[in-house]
Amino acid sequence: MSILANKDTRVVIQGGQAGVNAARRMAEFCYLIKRPLNVEAFVYPPDAGKTNEIPYGSGLIAVPVYATIAEATKHHPTINTSLVYIGADRAMKAGLEALDDPHIHLVSMITEGVPEKDAKLLGAHARKLGKVFNGPSSIGIISAGACRLGVIGGAFDNLVLSKLYREGSFGVITKSGGLSNEIIWICSQFADGITTAIGIGGDAYPGTDYVTYLEMFENDPQTKAVVIVGEMGGDLEERAAEWYGAKKRRIKLIGVVSGFCQESLPKGMKFGHAGAKEGMKGEGSARSKSEALQRAGAIVPPTFGALGPAIKEVYQELLKSGQVKEVVEPASLPKLPKTVEEAMKADEVIVTPLIRTTISDDRGDEPCYDGYPASELINKGYEIPHVIGLLWDKRLISKQEAEIIKRIIMLSADHGPCVSGAYATILAACAGIGLSQAVAAGLIMIGPRFGGAVTDAGRWFKYAVDNKMSVDEFLAYMKKNVGPVPGIGHRVKSLRNPDKRVKELVAYVKSLKINTPCLDFALQVEQVTAAKKDNLILNVDGTMAAVLVDLGFPVDSLNGFFILSRTIGLIGHWVDQKRQDSRLIRLFDYLVNYAAPKRREVPPLK
Amino acid sequence: MAKVLEGPGMGLMRKWGIHVPNYVVVTSAEELAKLGQVNDWLKRSKLVAKAHEALGSRFKLGLVKVGLDLDGAVSAVKEMVGRQVGSITVSQVIVSEMIPHKEEYYCAVKSVREGNEILVANCGGIEVESNWDRVKRLPVEVGQQPALEALEKVVKEAGFTGPLVKRMADFAGKLFACFDNEDAQYLEVNPVVARESDGELVALDAVTLLDADAKFRHPDWNFQFAAEFGRAYTKNELDIMAIDSKIKGSVKFIEIPGGDTAMLPAGGGASVYYSDAVVARGGKLANYAEYSGDPPDWAVEALTEKVCGLPGIKNIIVGGAIANFTDVKKTFGGIINGFRKAKADGKLKGVKIWVRRGGPREKEGLDAMRALKDEGFDIEVFDRYTPLTDIVDKALAGK
Repeated sequence: MSILANKDTRVVIQGGQAGVNAARRMAEFCYLIKRPLNVEAFVYPPDAGKTNEIPYGSGLIAVPVYATIAEATKHHPTINTSLVYIGADRAMKAGLEALDDPHIHLVSMITEGVPEKDAKLLGAHARKLGKVFNGPSSIGIISAGACRLGVIGGAFDNLVLSKLYREGSFGVITKSGGLSNEIIWICSQFADGITTAIGIGGDAYPGTDYVTYLEMFENDPQTKAVVIVGEMGGDLEERAAEWYGAKKRRIKLIGVVSGFCQESLPKGMKFGHAGAKEGMKGEGSARSKSEALQRAGAIVPPTFGALGPAIKEVYQELLKSGQVKEVVEPASLPKLPKTVEEAMKADEVIVTPLIRTTISDDRGDEPCYDGYPASELINKGYEIPHVIGLLWDKRLISKQEAEIIKRIIMLSADHGPCVSGAYATILAACAGIGLSQAVAAGLIMIGPRFGGAVTDAGRWFKYAVDNKMSVDEFLAYMKKNVGPVPGIGHRVKSLRNPDKRVKELVAYVKSLKINTPCLDFALQVEQVTAAKKDNLILNVDGTMAAVLVDLGFPVDSLNGFFILSRTIGLIGHWVDQKRQDSRLIRLFDYLVNYAAPKRREVPPLK
Repeated sequence: MAKVLEGPGMGLMRKWGIHVPNYVVVTSAEELAKLGQVNDWLKRSKLVAKAHEALGSRFKLGLVKVGLDLDGAVSAVKEMVGRQVGSITVSQVIVSEMIPHKEEYYCAVKSVREGNEILVANCGGIEVESNWDRVKRLPVEVGQQPALEALEKVVKEAGFTGPLVKRMADFAGKLFACFDNEDAQYLEVNPVVARESDGELVALDAVTLLDADAKFRHPDWNFQFAAEFGRAYTKNELDIMAIDSKIKGSVKFIEIPGGDTAMLPAGGGASVYYSDAVVARGGKLANYAEYSGDPPDWAVEALTEKVCGLPGIKNIIVGGAIANFTDVKKTFGGIINGFRKAKADGKLKGVKIWVRRGGPREKEGLDAMRALKDEGFDIEVFDRYTPLTDIVDKALAGK
């Protein structure tokens, strides 16, 4: 048995994220005691119609969110309890809404800083309706083995250590949320644990105070003793003492009160909870409270440290008199499933990775490219071509190689607005399309006829060199098996009107006196093809391809050099159009050869 | 409970129809002289000048002057502004008219569990303090207003007779209206006086305590709350209050000069038990501190630096119960950073640190604290199996 919260308690939580966090803790407890989740619904107008996902064991439970308490209890008629996690300025309205719902009999308010007037009104309203209003500033209520309301009880490990999975014999009432777990822990260490623990909140006038709950504990046969943890200020402890001393009580009462330090502090200095304020005429001191409790026959340990032994003594007496029996602990308890990260940290699982990377890692404080921290590369004078070398070919290229790559990028960064890529980007920019999509439109144009021949050119030049083919053998092979030689031929350039980019690049690479078998071969091929037809020259794709193969870049990466460098131009075109606020463009009719059939009548549909 | 100084307190009462003396709050003698040129009453009436600060025993300190004319009030203001009393500098003076009267009465409203209570007595001033049995009470239930008949009845019980019955009942009704509508927790008018000129009841002096939690629905509360302990907050206290006001959770800090045991415990409840344990062991508290509600680690770090900076400390008590949801590792991370900074600044020499804590990620947090030993800190770390306040016993074992 327990009080207030039991196996039939079904909960609606009023509030947003704080409420969801509480629901997660409550789900952990439900999982520990092998009961279904006790949270039926949330009420939070901003999220109405959605669901909150609450982890339960290794699964997730979708708990619906409603706009009003009435909707929640209509769809979940078993709801009988509300937890309020609404801000102090709206807490009273939320509390009244819950109290006024006929399904709900217990409202526990977690909100702190609720105006005193509002708290008193909520308490009085609940008493009038014969319901219980707990709080404000309550950490929650927990009945061992039965029901948890709020975050009281703390983390899962603490629930187990404090034996909250099964009933004990001690009731607990505290003002302090932080101390509730401590007392529960003490009860489990020095005795057999708790029945129910209630955080009544540290405000001056809690909605429900010690006396009401003591009466409930008195009527709960499982509870043999109650621990109350008080504070200076107000008269709640004196009222509890009065109740206890009024007649012979079945339960033992153990009480501690804080605030003795007040006596030796500078006058007027006070601290602790809002309720910990001195009475107007000196009543409410820690001393008067603990004396009142003692006079009423309660056990009052002189300090907090003496509380454990005092509880132990009561427990031993209960054992001796046969009122309680030694507890037999369950053989095993559910373990809270770990997250994959936690389990991996504890070396408990092996996970087959979904992807594998061999080039970069950003799990530290900065990205590392092929193992080299980006900042160190910068500080040691490395440049963009080196990063390309690391990420595309997993090697730190030389200064000379970097210079070649830099020149390749610079030479092919842009080729005016008329080529397919730039034109597509401009068209998109004029249609108001965003940067990434417009640039992507330009990149889509890169293919076999525009800029996309670098990889293929590199592949076949390399094939010829690797197989030690002569130019004639190569051309015959290509004619038979492939078709036109990629990297050879230009739409407008020719021997008489050479491509200056090609001449520039070839001249530079040749000046370095490095071994360039592919480039040499490509130039020999050009000699033959250009002799046959004036425009069958080695074009920029072919030149880049041959040079890059000579540098050792993988064939499959070669188109990347064109894509990368041309992206610079495409971005420029988009920004240029944007800056000019260019208008939507369309083709003029006179630029179209309308070769479609003349207008004609549509035959009837058969 | 938040204390309000006389000026704004009288303003709230006047708002609810209670007669209060004419008054001005000034910050310089020149200002008062100028006000004298435009406000007739300042020239006509006898005046009283009081330092408008949260100071006790102002009369003894010479910070209350009565029976002044305007010139006298101007020189009183000149004398008071800038006076240093402890950590408070007098920056405002309230000058009000004296109300000629013969009789003094008492009226108050206070918050009680069942609702509120109206208190009346037909004596006032210091007389009521020594004749508390003459105070009569009218309980008013939560959400209710006092009926006029009930007010008249309690006023009669208190010994009022004749036309004063209606006037006092009316006064008490207005005081209740002010209390109820302004989210007050305590309103005490002592004395209430009957003005000789027209017999009207006037609130001559008042204590006003408001519910600071209700500030959100009183946009016209444009005044500052006064420090509650008769001294101004120190810079360190104000620093922590500023942090407290803008974080999730809370950090609190109050300095107690002369102590040697510094407190850095978690939780509003446990912190007081820790303070009790120090006092019970014969120790002297150097401060009160508390953090709770899973505050951000930087806030706890700032609090730690303040605690480490307390002069003359020998022990720091980093105590705490078993937390519900405050992340021990994270908040301890803030404390550890604060300790490191303090040590780097040359503080914590000869200071021993005592730790006891439980809660979410307690093992990780306590392990991190233990590791401080390797950095040369004098630190003892205990877990949940050591009872809450035992670290205080250990720390002060030599006393």
